[in-house]
Formats: sequence, structure tokens, C-alpha cells
Amino acid sequence: MFDTGKKVTVKGSVTAFEWTNPHAYIEVDVPQEGGGVKHWSVEMGSPSILMQSGWKFKDLKAGDKITVELNPLRNGDPGGLLIQATLPDGRVLGNGPGRGPAPSTSAAAPTGR
Amino acid sequence: MFATAVFAQAQRPDLTGVWGPYRGGRGADPKLAPTPAGAPVLKAPYAKPYEERRAAAAAATQRGEPGPTNGMLCVPYGVPTMMSVAVYPVEFIQTPKQITIISEAFSEVRRVYLDKPPSKIDEVPPGYYGRSTGRWEGDTLVVDTVGIKDTVQYQTMPHSDQMRITERIRLAAPNILHDQITIEDPVVLEKPITYTLAYSRLADYEMVEFVCDNNREFVDANGVVRMRTQGK
Repeated sequence: MFDTGKKVTVKGSVTAFEWTNPHAYIEVDVPQEGGGVKHWSVEMGSPSILMQSGWKFKDLKAGDKITVELNPLRNGDPGGLLIQATLPDGRVLGNGPGRGPAPSTSAAAPTGR
Repeated sequence: MFATAVFAQAQRPDLTGVWGPYRGGRGADPKLAPTPAGAPVLKAPYAKPYEERRAAAAAATQRGEPGPTNGMLCVPYGVPTMMSVAVYPVEFIQTPKQITIISEAFSEVRRVYLDKPPSKIDEVPPGYYGRSTGRWEGDTLVVDTVGIKDTVQYQTMPHSDQMRITERIRLAAPNILHDQITIEDPVVLEKPITYTLAYSRLADYEMVEFVCDNNREFVDANGVVRMRTQGK
């Protein structure tokens, strides 16, 4: 479904942060050169998995500016699998343990893993 | 007689707690590490179709077009798969008559009855969890499960209604739990499948809820898994 050999970076405004199962999603409005907006859907791991790499349910809200690096959908639809996201406060978060950068803050992570 | 019974009771661990997958690794005691299963050996006429299906699934995944799995469709994993779903923990709640096991992935629940006789296969309606009874052998909980339905498969492997799953669950160390799982099926399997899952205790972890209410992945007309996007 996702082209794991390809990386695409999109920059825009968050319209929704869906903290849901089986996957969380970031919805992003990405301004296009020449005007207009393309809307991207970014698939993430589940909340439990995301929390293991520093995400919290309230890390994003509508209007936040975000930069997302992702593996795009093979069929060209505007969506992809999160690699890493740069949040408004500068934190860079990945997509669960072992996928993406280490969290830059010491967010509470389950012990023993 | 009384003294023996008391001593046997004293050996029984309390498995209550939240346990996360433990992979062992460099520097770790190898006795505590998990033990993977060997490849299943199926009897004819099951072996060839199973191999062909596995090869086709592997090829599709290579092309970047994996076919649907139960998990991807938010269908529960059932027994035994719910005991080892990715990095998700499981919670054991132990009382004298019952052990309840809850997996974080999909919030699946199974119950092991400690004060009931083993199930008769033809009296268990086939389901995701079957019916599990258990007894203590010293420090080891021995669990018997029958009645898993045909669409609930270990690694996409077919099974008959005669399949029986035996687990030997114990603390390999104070904070390491082992679940040795043996799958037997006289109709489908040439020999039993055995593997050992290992978990480490997560002392301060609160299990997260997991309700599949936003599944955007679906299977298209070509049998390929797709993701619904909001944009075009």
C-alpha cells in the first residue's frame, strides 16, 4: 500500500489529529504552488504504539503548522505512512518505537521495553 | 498430605500484572529469551495449498500490495495469536479459580478456569478464544484450550476442529513470564508446533484502550488493501 522506498515531505496546516485505533491520522492542508490546497492523510501507528515514542493525544490541534515526512501511497492518492513529523514546538517525533527519530523530550514511556 | 498441598500452593507464582514482549538480546540470559516456532509441517492434502497461499502472500507483499489479514480488518486475533501481537502488552489477572488474560491490541479477553474439568471438543461452540481450563503443576500453569473456529488461524494455517492448544505458563525469573505454546492437530499437522513467548513485567504501565472505530483500510475489488484518504 505504501511505497517504503520513497520519501515525500509535506508542509501545511493540521485540520485534524485523530487519536484513534487501529491507526491514528494527521490530516493536513498543504498549500500548492500556484494556489489552492491539497489535503493529505497521514497514517500513524496506534495510540499505544505512538506513546512509546513520545506522542501524546494533545500534541496537535487544528491550525498547527506541521512538516511531515512520509512514505506515499503507491496509487498516488494524497496519503502516506508517517516517518517523522516536526511539531510547532520544534519536536521531531517518529512513528512508534524503532521507527523514526528518538523523542527529543523525555516523554513518559512504559518501563521495561 | 496437608503439608504437601501447602508446599505446592507456596510454589505457585502470582502472574497478576501487565507484561510486555521481551526479546532478550545481547548480554541477556539466553534462558529468559523467547523461542520461535519452527516452520509448521502440514499433512497432505493441506501442505501444498498452504505453501502456495504463503508464497502468493509473500509475493504480493514484495510488490507492496499486501492482502488483508484479520488484524488489518479489525477482526480479533483470538487464541493463540492474541498472546503475541507486535509490541502490545498483555494483562494477567489471577484469582484462585480463574485467570483472566487481556491483550492490549483490540482489548481481547480470554478466561482460564482453574476449578473446572477440561472441555470436551464437541461441547465447545467454535469461537475466537475457545474454552480454556488450567491446573497448576508446581510453579507452572498448564492450560488446555479447544474450540477455536476455522477462520481464527495461527499464521494463516488451516486447522481442524481437533486442534488443541496447550500452554505452560510460568515465571522464568521474578519479572520474566514465559508462555510455552504447543499447537497439536492430528488431522492437519505432521507434528506439534511449539514456541515460547517471553514477557517482562511492566510495573507502572496502564493498559491503553483499543477500540477499532476508525479503520480506514479496506480491500478493493482486486483484493488489495487500500487506505481511504480525505483528499483526492
